[in-house]
Amino acid sequence: MLPASCLMSLPERMALPALDEEQTRAVEAFLRSVERRALRMAELATREREEALDLVQDAMFGFVRHYGARERGQWPPLFWRVLDSRIHDWHRRRSVRGRWFGWRERDADGDDAFALPDPREPGPLARLADGEAARALDLALQDLPLRQRQAFLLRIWEGLDVAATASAMRCSEGSVKTHLSRALANLRARLGAHR
Amino acid sequence: MNDEDSWIGRATALLDRSVEGLDAHTLSRLNRARQAALAQAHPQWRHARVFGGAFLLGSLAVLMAIGIARHHVPAVPTTAADATADVLAGEDNLDLYEDLDFYAWLDAQQGGGHG
Repeated sequence: MLPASCLMSLPERMALPALDEEQTRAVEAFLRSVERRALRMAELATREREEALDLVQDAMFGFVRHYGARERGQWPPLFWRVLDSRIHDWHRRRSVRGRWFGWRERDADGDDAFALPDPREPGPLARLADGEAARALDLALQDLPLRQRQAFLLRIWEGLDVAATASAMRCSEGSVKTHLSRALANLRARLGAHR
Repeated sequence: MNDEDSWIGRATALLDRSVEGLDAHTLSRLNRARQAALAQAHPQWRHARVFGGAFLLGSLAVLMAIGIARHHVPAVPTTAADATADVLAGEDNLDLYEDLDFYAWLDAQQGGGHG
């Protein structure tokens, strides 16, 4: 896959923000702080390391191009928004290809049946060894619908607040709460099977 | 800490651990991606890319112009049939073609005179 910079038109290149040394260092430190989690997020969505690396690279290019000159406090939700957008684009392309090749991906907003947690249980993952638990968590996260997985990763793992998560996912705060609630219920139900 | 917090805490810890163990190749790719993304916003690189792109476009335009010009060079006849057709199609030879009967009569007269 060509990096995004190769596809830029001349006017787009002229419009690129020119960052000074201090800004460049700050952006680099920020990207360094999020790149591994970004890769993990993309990998959970694509299930392929190479595809995930391409998405993260594309997100970095998009972030620097569009938001590199913004205030630092705005960077986290903006970066995750760019990555979220790239992941959605990837899913759209895969869905179109899937129609041609006869397989179908689960609806991004699919409403899976989820079980209510049993209050007597200590919680999923509690009785699993680390390696087994990590594998179970991976599979459970991969099987979540895209919006639910993004809500879980951004809100719970990345630690964004509801407003920032909504900004990153380009949806309302109410939608974030709904997606997150379903994600937690689905994960609990799925991981509960490993007890 | 209730059960919900407990398993969510373990899940995030597992995710944190998973990104700490990335292999060297992946980390190198991430590093290169980051450097490339930052380089695009560096003024020198930006100018180099803009002028490089303009130079590339200019070169392509010149090559296309040369290609078009060469395409319009008239072709040289290559066979005897082509040459005959070319001679007959020439404007000067139409008179010769129209007066062919006159030249045949003249030839017959001259032949008769000598014989």
